[in-house]
Amino acid sequence: MTALTQSAPAMQEKGALGIDWSKIILGIYMLIFFLYLFVPLLIMVAAAFNANDTPSVTEWRGFTLDWFTGGYDAEGNLVVRGLPQESRFLQGLWHSLLIAVGVIVISIPLGLAGALLLTRLESNASTLLYTILVSPILIPGIVLGVSTMIFWRDIFGVEAGLFTAMVAQSVFIASYCMLLFMARLQRQDRVLDEAAFDLGASSFMVFRRITLPFLAPTIATATVIAFLQSIENYNTTFFAIGGSWTLVTEIGARMRFGLSPVINAIGVIFVVFTVIAAVTYVSLKRREQAKAKAQKG
Amino acid sequence: MPWSCAVENWRVTSLLRSYGRMLGGLFVGLVAIWIVGLIVLPQIKMIERAFIYEPKGGAAVQAQVDVDRITQRLFTIQYDIKDLEKQAAEGDAGAGAYAPGAKIGEDNTGSGVATPSISGASQTIEEQIAALKTEEAELQIRLVALEADELRLKAEQEAAAGYSFRNFTTMNEIHFKIFVLTLLYSFCVTLICFVVCYPIAYTVAQTTSRERAALLMLGLIIPYAINELLRIFAWVMILANKGILNAGLDAIGVLDFSEGETIRWVASNGAVFCVMVYAYILFMVFPIYNTIETLDRNQIEAARDLGASTWRIHRRVVLPHAKPGVAVGSIMTFMLSAGSIAVPGLVGPGLHPDWFSQVIYRNFFEAGDWNVGSAYSLALLVACIIFILIVMSVFKVGIRQIAR
Repeated sequence: MTALTQSAPAMQEKGALGIDWSKIILGIYMLIFFLYLFVPLLIMVAAAFNANDTPSVTEWRGFTLDWFTGGYDAEGNLVVRGLPQESRFLQGLWHSLLIAVGVIVISIPLGLAGALLLTRLESNASTLLYTILVSPILIPGIVLGVSTMIFWRDIFGVEAGLFTAMVAQSVFIASYCMLLFMARLQRQDRVLDEAAFDLGASSFMVFRRITLPFLAPTIATATVIAFLQSIENYNTTFFAIGGSWTLVTEIGARMRFGLSPVINAIGVIFVVFTVIAAVTYVSLKRREQAKAKAQKG
Repeated sequence: MPWSCAVENWRVTSLLRSYGRMLGGLFVGLVAIWIVGLIVLPQIKMIERAFIYEPKGGAAVQAQVDVDRITQRLFTIQYDIKDLEKQAAEGDAGAGAYAPGAKIGEDNTGSGVATPSISGASQTIEEQIAALKTEEAELQIRLVALEADELRLKAEQEAAAGYSFRNFTTMNEIHFKIFVLTLLYSFCVTLICFVVCYPIAYTVAQTTSRERAALLMLGLIIPYAINELLRIFAWVMILANKGILNAGLDAIGVLDFSEGETIRWVASNGAVFCVMVYAYILFMVFPIYNTIETLDRNQIEAARDLGASTWRIHRRVVLPHAKPGVAVGSIMTFMLSAGSIAVPGLVGPGLHPDWFSQVIYRNFFEAGDWNVGSAYSLALLVACIIFILIVMSVFKVGIRQIAR
């Protein structure tokens, strides 16, 4: 019977020749969309290997790795400034890492506390609390950067720099962490807590032996996400960092002064890391889904 | 007993029971620090600055400059007089006539202070001293008047300073136009992103083959995860004067590079607009995908079996289910576009009309006018909040559904 009901409308949709035009159009659309997403990135990657000193793929002057390694002539003199010679990028990366570590240290406990509080607070006030705690995600990053910079200078006399950039990033990254923790806590089986309490465990013990181990995988995920968000952030950092710089703000500064293939080289490194991370993420997720399905079946 | 009262009001009993006083207190403390120290106080400080009017420039500054200049001139005159008097005392009459007179003549051009003209050699030292003394007296009188003027102007400014709406009301026409245009453009970016993304999100979510779904997912995640700046950079390369777009037009004969014909794509608002769609489009795909994915496929089958057209299925089954996703996607895309400094700042910086975020930036870091900058960022914040509220009421979704 199902076959019958399914086939009738399917027949209607297909054209005279039995071709499903809507599917073909959708397929072409998808193809165009993915080309739109990837072609610019491929162009950027390709230009990193072009010996032309303005990033280009149309004017090909030969394959080179100079933008990654720096180029030397026969006598060993530096003729092309590559990544190793651009010390501001390296220093920017160091600043980015410092900020990212600080952001993780601040936002994981805050996000965790927020999530634990919200999942146990059975009150009307919890919606208000929730709104306040997620608001940093929903408001423009430059507003966060600006307000943090003003606050720390006016109240504590701290000039904008790495510290204010770290604080400004933590404001919204903590919210992301909180959402991750809340999603996990919603799946928690409260019966375990109750059982532990009945058996005489203290609340501290329940937290340490039941809640924390349950949240451990999410703490790992949240750490990775906080790290990535912090490294990648531009808008908020740009406003809060003052005279200092991170890898990403340095890329931006360099772009304003004119394009250099060194940025393409950095882009290639970013792309490689991103692809590896994305493939790992998707395959891990698939394995998890398969496992969940196996358990159900 | 205020404590038990608070417990009663906030119904935190479950909280206390779960975590005990110590841990519960710790969590409450951390959240309090987060809310007060990181979210609320900085915003309040920004809002406070936005409403403090701090007059700058104008008449008072000009008066101060004049006072400084006259004071300096007086010092020079007094020095010259002393010098001349010394010369007179030494009886070196003939030679003394040259230097000071010429110097004074030079100094006077530009100072705007009227002085009797001195034609060096014909005057004796005594005459020169007398001339200088008259000038000194004149300047003293002007100085007193100017100083009084300066004080009055400063007092007026201070009276005008303080809490007021003037940072907003003095927003000039150009800035206001930029503000409105920025919001309008951001809205269009959001709309285009939705129209482009909806079929994509639907197709990816409805893909039954697991292999294909994973591959499509990968295709979306990779560009999403690559840094925003690099995505912009890729487009700047394409749109540059000697970029791929112009090279392509050269190849088909629309442009002629050899004669220096290029189109400055980056100098247009359209370029900013296009790059922005590219930069933020995936923030629309994922929320919609996430909601459509939870839709039971049988619902679509059922609707189709009952004879609903594709259009009707989407309007009555898929879209209502995807509402929260569309809402989140719209809010994120709009917020990112309206507050974007990366796209307008890096695509042909300074060549195209400003984006509002650039005006904010310049107020803070170039004009050094933090209060006006705060006022402008507050305006942006309010605009975004209003947009969020509109989206929430149009799609009839609550905050809990939005931020998930």
